[in-house]
Amino acid sequence: MSIAGSKRVLLVDGDVRTSRRLAALLQQDGYQVELARDGAEALVRLASSTTPDVLVTELRLPVGDGPSVARSARMLSPALSVVVVTRYANSVSAASFGSPEPLVLSKPLDYERLLAALRQPPASPEF
Amino acid sequence: MPTETRFQEIKRYVRLDEQDARLLRAFGELARPELPRIAQEFYDRIREHEDAHAVFTGEEQIQRLQRSLVEWMTRVCSGTYDESYHERTSIIGRVHVRIGLPQRYMLTAMALIRVELLRIADRVLGADAAPTREALVRILDLELAVMLEAYKDSFVERIEQAAHKQSQDLGTALAQAEQRYVSAVELAGVVIVGLDRAGNIQLFNREAETVTSYMRDEVMGKPFLETLGIEDGHGGLPERLKRVLTGQSERVTLETCLRNRAGKLRDVVWSWNFAGEGVAGVVLLATGRDVTDEKAKDERSRQNERLAAVGTLAAGLAHEIRNPLNGAQLHVSFLERAIKRKQTEQEMLEATRVVGDEIKRLASLVTEFLDFARPRPPELKTTSLVRAMEHACGLVEASAQEAGVELVCDAPSSDVDFPADAGKLTQVLLNLLHNAVEAGGKHVLLRGRRGPRHVFIDVEDDGPGLPSPDAPVFDAFYSTKEGGTGLGLAITHRIVSDHRGTIDVSSRPGKTSFHIALPLGEGAGGSA
Repeated sequence: MSIAGSKRVLLVDGDVRTSRRLAALLQQDGYQVELARDGAEALVRLASSTTPDVLVTELRLPVGDGPSVARSARMLSPALSVVVVTRYANSVSAASFGSPEPLVLSKPLDYERLLAALRQPPASPEF
Repeated sequence: MPTETRFQEIKRYVRLDEQDARLLRAFGELARPELPRIAQEFYDRIREHEDAHAVFTGEEQIQRLQRSLVEWMTRVCSGTYDESYHERTSIIGRVHVRIGLPQRYMLTAMALIRVELLRIADRVLGADAAPTREALVRILDLELAVMLEAYKDSFVERIEQAAHKQSQDLGTALAQAEQRYVSAVELAGVVIVGLDRAGNIQLFNREAETVTSYMRDEVMGKPFLETLGIEDGHGGLPERLKRVLTGQSERVTLETCLRNRAGKLRDVVWSWNFAGEGVAGVVLLATGRDVTDEKAKDERSRQNERLAAVGTLAAGLAHEIRNPLNGAQLHVSFLERAIKRKQTEQEMLEATRVVGDEIKRLASLVTEFLDFARPRPPELKTTSLVRAMEHACGLVEASAQEAGVELVCDAPSSDVDFPADAGKLTQVLLNLLHNAVEAGGKHVLLRGRRGPRHVFIDVEDDGPGLPSPDAPVFDAFYSTKEGGTGLGLAITHRIVSDHRGTIDVSSRPGKTSFHIALPLGEGAGGSA
């Protein structure tokens, strides 16, 4: 756990172009960001580098899906915070991500809102 | 001259006259003491006879009868033979019938009494017995005749009654059968209309009244088709009706409209049956069912299904729209920041380009969606299969080369002309070919062939195939590609259906084939 400035974020979404832009914004705001375009890449990242503090993921992915990535990540780090950024906000079953339940944000993303959520300590009630 | 009574007639035949009457009266005086004895002996004999016993109820009755016999013999010798005498004998005769005394017993009894009385005459009158004997014989014959009449009358009566009952029973049976038939027709839950040879209504059941709102009386004798406003929009109904009326057709089933009394249209499914000569001149029985409400219900439920499908579609579209919106939004946020921080032009230009792209992406999503949801109906013109195939392959050539995929166009050796919308056909081929090129294999094949009634088009690739054999690939927004609209195959499927064709897919790793069959149409042929 570190201070907000160097929190690690794993960003998982099939829309790579937009993810890169979001990563750029987050990096400008002081976060370390790793990208994965699908569940397989996400697992590779989780296995090979330091466990992230926050997982930001879409629900549906070209391979695998958000819930399975979240559950795998939480096996490595039970305190992991999860934010779901998705176009299928109505279809999210929060319980399928494991506990604590994730924060769900609908696309198009309100970036300020994401920032506010990331500033919270992980797994805090306001999350 | 007054007609003589039956009694007078019999007396005439028997020749009983006043002289006989006097002789009998005289004899009666002489014979009186003997009569009880005769009666006793007579009934003793009966008591001995088993069968005769069956007729009598008991000793008391027999005693009574004995006394009656004495009375009767006294009366026979009374000397007064008028209508009241006849009446009393008739009564006796009818009593015999009523109690069921067999005729032969009565005859036997008569014979016995006759012998006894004649013996008394001989004993008492000696040489002068002859006239009295004759008189006795005559009066006893007369008695016999009257009593036999009673049997005959009763017999005739029984026959008449039986005949009457039989005819009544028959009448009842017929009436019941008719009743059942009438009920069956009347109460049937189907419309039943009977027509005569001229096509006029002769039978109109309750259901017919209900469906048409006409009362039976209003339509009796009137022409069927015209009165009920029956037609099916194709013409030719009068001819078809005539064929059944004349027996040329045994039966015709059809669906028509019917105009009821209020002028409202109802849909009716009919069966018109030739009934032969039938009853009451009915040669055709039309049975029908009002399906108006069923059809409306079907239409409503189809509409509900369509609405539900549209709802699902709209949701699918909404989801897809969110990604390009997301992308555009983020890039705008980035641009905002970049302008504030005076970032490099290159990066800013890059960002604005992306925003533009995402907006275009949104636009094409909307357009494709509209194309899918409300397509322009196909304009079918004679189209050359070979030209369509070559055109599509030409358009895909460049992408195939870029992807390192070999594209083969296998057209039939002689061309096939068939009805198609050339533009939409190209759209279909492009969609399938692009999918095939991007599927991840090395080879793509487009093949066209002519069948007996169809044109067959196949697109094959040797990529890894579909994720699962049951994947609903033709469903809108089922896409496994990021950056795709998810509508390509759905639109392809729609276009093929609009051409009254079929499309299906078979897939395993290493071979995925899409098969299209399009009808050749009426009288289509190959070109030289």
